[in-house]
Amino acid sequence: MQIKTTRFGTIDVTEDKIINMPSGMLGFPDQKRFVVLQHKENSPFFWYQSVDDPALAFVITNPFLFKPDYQVDLEHTLKEMSWNGDGNNGHLELYIVVNIPKGSPDAMTGNLIGPILINNKVRQAIQVIVADSPYSHKFPLLGEQKS
Amino acid sequence: MLILTRKLGERINIGDDIVITLVEIKGAQVKLGIDAPKSIGIHRHEIYERIRKANLESSDVRDADLARAAALLQNISSEREDKVAD
Repeated sequence: MQIKTTRFGTIDVTEDKIINMPSGMLGFPDQKRFVVLQHKENSPFFWYQSVDDPALAFVITNPFLFKPDYQVDLEHTLKEMSWNGDGNNGHLELYIVVNIPKGSPDAMTGNLIGPILINNKVRQAIQVIVADSPYSHKFPLLGEQKS
Repeated sequence: MLILTRKLGERINIGDDIVITLVEIKGAQVKLGIDAPKSIGIHRHEIYERIRKANLESSDVRDADLARAAALLQNISSEREDKVAD
């Protein structure tokens, strides 16, 4: 199917690439369908593009590239989504939402308390709320890279 | 805003499915018990707000800044490779 986007024009994606988000992203409850688009070659970033709102896209990345010991308790989420079927979680992918302040890419941060969990088997996703954790919602991506 | 006064152990109903119980009072802190359907998200306001704002900011990232951010990260990883090669 064709998806209209303000950033990339009209793009073609197959139906099986569409991810359904029953609750949407926090603050954006009306947008429930997304696709993950690779930013570009050799970039660790992806756009999490809304299927139904051309202007809405979030920047996401793989948290483990920046925080290898990142740990989130997903038990409650798996139950809530009824994903705790066979104990094999190989079809689950975790992303974090990235912010890059205007004109200051070196100040880029990732939100470690609101990761997006995607289930590739059922093509569903949820934004997990990580309560009672030591993690920051403004984790400096470059700071950790330097050290 | 509706404001209700409740004593320890007393409850408040919101609609048919949500019940809030005043469980404990300790100085300036109160403990609340919340019974609600699991489809309803219940979160501390400040955590919800942080995530909502982070989402909002991310949705406003400019393509040019993202390209520069990706280039910065690529430089760092290639510098590392150079060091390893030395």
